[in-house]
Amino acid sequence: MQQKLKPALASPRGAIGLALVLLGVLAIPIAMDDQFIYHIFVTICIFAALSTAWNIVGGYAGQLSLGHAIFYGIGAYAAVMLTNMGITPWLGMFVGAFFAVIAAIVVSYPCFRLHGPFFALATIAFLEVFRVLALHFRSFTGGATGMMIPLNIGWEWMVFRDRLPSLVIAFGMMLLALAVAWWIRNHRLGFQLIATRERESAARGAGVQTVKVRLIGVSISAALCSLVGSFHAMYLTFIEPEAVFSLTFSIQIALFALIGGIGTVFGPLLGAVMLVPITELARGWLGSGALGLHGFVYGVVLVLVVLFMPNGIMGLVHRFLEPDRKPKAEPEPETVAAEPRRVAPHQVGDDIIRVEGLDKHFGGLHVTNNVSFNLKEGEVLALIGPNGAGKTTVFNMISGFLKPDSGTVSVRGTDGQFHQPVTPGDYAAIGVGRTFQIVQPFASMTVEENIMVGAFHRFTDVNDAREAARETAHRMGLGRWLDSEARGLTIGGLKRLEVARVMAMQPRVLLLDEVMAGINQTDVRRAVDLMLSIRDSGVSIIAIEHVMQAVMSLSDRVIVLNSGQIIAEGSPQEVVRDPTVIEAYLGKEFAHA
Amino acid sequence: MDTFLQVLTNGLMLGGLFAIVSIGLTLIFGIVKVINFAHGEYLMVGMYLTFLLATGLHVHPYLTVAAVAPLLFVLGALTQRFLIQPLMSARDEHVQIFATVGLSTALMNLALLVFGADIASTPSSGLRTSLHLGPVRILLGQAVIFVVSIALVAALHWYLQRTQTGRAIRAVAQNRDAAQLMGINVNWIYILTFGIGAACVGLAASLVAPLYPTQPTSGTYFVLIAFVVVVLGGLGSIGGAFLGAMVIGLIDSLSGFYIGSDLREVAVFGVFLLILILRPSGLFGRKNLAHVSP
Amino acid sequence: MLELEAVDAGYGATTILHGVSLNVQAGEAVTIIGGNGAGKTTTLRTIAGLIRPTSGSIRFEGQDITRLEAHEVVELGITLIPEGRQLFPDMTVRENLLMGAFRRKAREQAEATLKEVLQLFPRVAERLDQIAGSLSGGEQQMVAIARGLMARPRLLMFDEPSLGLAPIIVEQVFSVIDRIVETGVTVLIVEQNVHHTLKAADRGYVLENGRIVLADAAEALLDNDHVRQAYLGI
Repeated sequence: MQQKLKPALASPRGAIGLALVLLGVLAIPIAMDDQFIYHIFVTICIFAALSTAWNIVGGYAGQLSLGHAIFYGIGAYAAVMLTNMGITPWLGMFVGAFFAVIAAIVVSYPCFRLHGPFFALATIAFLEVFRVLALHFRSFTGGATGMMIPLNIGWEWMVFRDRLPSLVIAFGMMLLALAVAWWIRNHRLGFQLIATRERESAARGAGVQTVKVRLIGVSISAALCSLVGSFHAMYLTFIEPEAVFSLTFSIQIALFALIGGIGTVFGPLLGAVMLVPITELARGWLGSGALGLHGFVYGVVLVLVVLFMPNGIMGLVHRFLEPDRKPKAEPEPETVAAEPRRVAPHQVGDDIIRVEGLDKHFGGLHVTNNVSFNLKEGEVLALIGPNGAGKTTVFNMISGFLKPDSGTVSVRGTDGQFHQPVTPGDYAAIGVGRTFQIVQPFASMTVEENIMVGAFHRFTDVNDAREAARETAHRMGLGRWLDSEARGLTIGGLKRLEVARVMAMQPRVLLLDEVMAGINQTDVRRAVDLMLSIRDSGVSIIAIEHVMQAVMSLSDRVIVLNSGQIIAEGSPQEVVRDPTVIEAYLGKEFAHA
Repeated sequence: MDTFLQVLTNGLMLGGLFAIVSIGLTLIFGIVKVINFAHGEYLMVGMYLTFLLATGLHVHPYLTVAAVAPLLFVLGALTQRFLIQPLMSARDEHVQIFATVGLSTALMNLALLVFGADIASTPSSGLRTSLHLGPVRILLGQAVIFVVSIALVAALHWYLQRTQTGRAIRAVAQNRDAAQLMGINVNWIYILTFGIGAACVGLAASLVAPLYPTQPTSGTYFVLIAFVVVVLGGLGSIGGAFLGAMVIGLIDSLSGFYIGSDLREVAVFGVFLLILILRPSGLFGRKNLAHVSP
Repeated sequence: MLELEAVDAGYGATTILHGVSLNVQAGEAVTIIGGNGAGKTTTLRTIAGLIRPTSGSIRFEGQDITRLEAHEVVELGITLIPEGRQLFPDMTVRENLLMGAFRRKAREQAEATLKEVLQLFPRVAERLDQIAGSLSGGEQQMVAIARGLMARPRLLMFDEPSLGLAPIIVEQVFSVIDRIVETGVTVLIVEQNVHHTLKAADRGYVLENGRIVLADAAEALLDNDHVRQAYLGI
């Protein structure tokens, strides 16, 4: 689901609206001073908090968990068990959060390889396992009979005669969840989570440690859910496995986020505010005679929202906040910064990358066969060859995306020593950046945010990253589109965005996979100038390229790959005259021309 | 030894039950590539229909299949046409998951509203008679389910391999775009497939209802098992799902007997998680790994 | 026979084709050349009904086909051999070919068509019972072309038939295309391998950034400075 990534707070109307909603949640029950109304608003706060926490995983990271009741349940059980042992829930809740984080890591780590419905299925399966275990270990959990808390009243035990203190605590927890979600969204972690959701491989290419950021995200989310679970157990004074580790409950948590606007900071809050009162009132009025009614309403609302309002309430809110924002007509490509090309003879230094004997098989296919070459510092090396020759496979192996069957890749670090990086993260850390042949923008992020993901490789602070991203964007001729969503760019623009994201990482070695493909002649000339200026700034470049015109004017050296083997190597002029190359790649016509 | 044989037989019979419930889900997943979270509720709806028809018309529950299967076909086809099809092009898989989760929640609670939480018992009509096969005992109804599940696998296999429409269905599954370029109406194939998958559940419901209590949550138990079976069988492979169902039936029965009946689910879901994580193509599947990162 | 008029089309919010107009006469071989991402594939997919144009019209033999679904377009006799072969990988070669004759007008004569088509592709005839996914790239391309012919199309469209093939195989593919053109089937080819395709075609269009920038006889285009510089690297 698409969403506006600019937080609603950016507009004054949004900030006032939010303040009013929050105030209302606190003031209405106090003003009405009715037990049932208090209960409804406590429930709103609880669900808003849970749903906001869920959204960090389900929304930002895009991992649809239907097992979040696990973390809620751990918090609930920890608090109740410890209370029964005479330990205050104010401590118990942190014990619960600790175990919830451990559970989150254990559950999520193996599941993160799974996409979409399979991740959801796995989380459901884990939830079932927790439920059955909670039923089984009676001596700990009380089994199916559940557990009561001792009736010690007072702040110390989180149990009150009045409803007001409960509301205050629930409200506080909701604020905590919202603050955390808001903070994440506006800091490096949020950018990295969303980038991981949008394009995992591109995020890894930009130096994001995707597994680590997801684990951090899910840990925070689980800890928050567990804290809420602890309080909710005290509020309800009774818990049982069927109610706590419940799939329906998990679905409800996700439901509020979806209805409010998945992936937005304040959507889950709105979802809970809208839906909880309706269902609680229905339950109150119709009583047990309408068993299943609220579930039926949830189900129908869910279906309708999915079909007709996939961006949730926040989608409507944004339309209200920014009524005049129409999709801009595609502007004409802007000229790349036209600084005159320096003709200073450039120096080629020592080896910066050494590739030795790379072999890779896909099934029975020998995709690369004993490929060895080196890249010198300050050099532009072109990699050419027919489609399917194995060029992109070589790229994947020298950027950590593919493990060679045999052979080594060594990169000289800033310390002057050669290292053998393994993962894309290692390559990014040592200063090797790459682009992808098929452009991989983070489609729902703006151009600026896309480039910021790269800049976060160097900066922790948002403002520094934003500054660096802007600067890079202007250099790459993308300045005009900073605030446009990446999906609206032309192919040429996307190709430049691809390079800009990598350049924002300030790599020492740049791997360019067909960045000239599909752009017109004028743009090719500009792109060549741009590449040369990048080279002059001290970056070594390996470029896969089909556009021979660019290859001829750009590269110091050319390697020709055919059927996974290097068939020629030399200066551009030498290579185009090589009969083997003409036969395999360029064709006779090229030679006769 | 006899006990062991009995436990083993129970496992296979349970496998037959799981198979017949899962085949429709496998078919839908394999062709339409949608995980239908409402699959269990189809079964529940089918079981209520069987109950209503069998008690209302005083006919043998098996006879109700003539009405239940077509009705479920319509339910499935409508789901595809009005719920899944509008979302097929959605960029985000969340949407489809939520859609079927919503349908599942709505159907289950609708049943709760209409029938209440009490159990509806379809008359067993002699299907609870025990058959003695050497040292082991099985219920007549279980044996029928086992045999029909094999027949259903064979029938679907024949349909997909030998008929023009079956070939078109496979073509759509293997390459949707290319299938369109052959002149196949892909949307229609999806509706048909969803209908057939749901009709299989209708058949299952009429066989299951006389043996198992019908209640609004009947589907929930079976749907989780069906997911396990589908993943184990290799996502979309009908024969694989059958074998997967046997494996799960045996695990369920053996662990229930030797570890404790309340931990059967832990064993089943434990195996499921291990398979999903360690061998995502399933025990009997090939490639088709679009759901995992390399 | 086929006429596009001011067609805009794209994916989602991204417009790729801007006012593309072109026509193909019966019996002609026409080519569209252009770089990666210029919109060549989008053009063919739009004609085939896989993408719906946002404006403009497409007519085939006088009939407006702008809003038809892909399978309806096939029924009229327009067949697209898609980029990257797109066989049904788990089916045998024979099943793949028979799927090609799914269109109603071709279905009854499928067996007869199969005999005719196999004469053009002796190598494919040897592999009828192999699983399509196990063939080499070149063989798969041949099967894809054969499958396209099985529909007995009135207009046959090729999307990058040489993509990812060794130069030797490319020669073979184009010699097959030449023979198909000789049999009188109307052909529309999209290619990056500009030299070969201009040799095979009667007329050509040059597509850049989703706009037709040049249209001329194929031979004239081969001599055109812009084409030589941009696409032949000369």
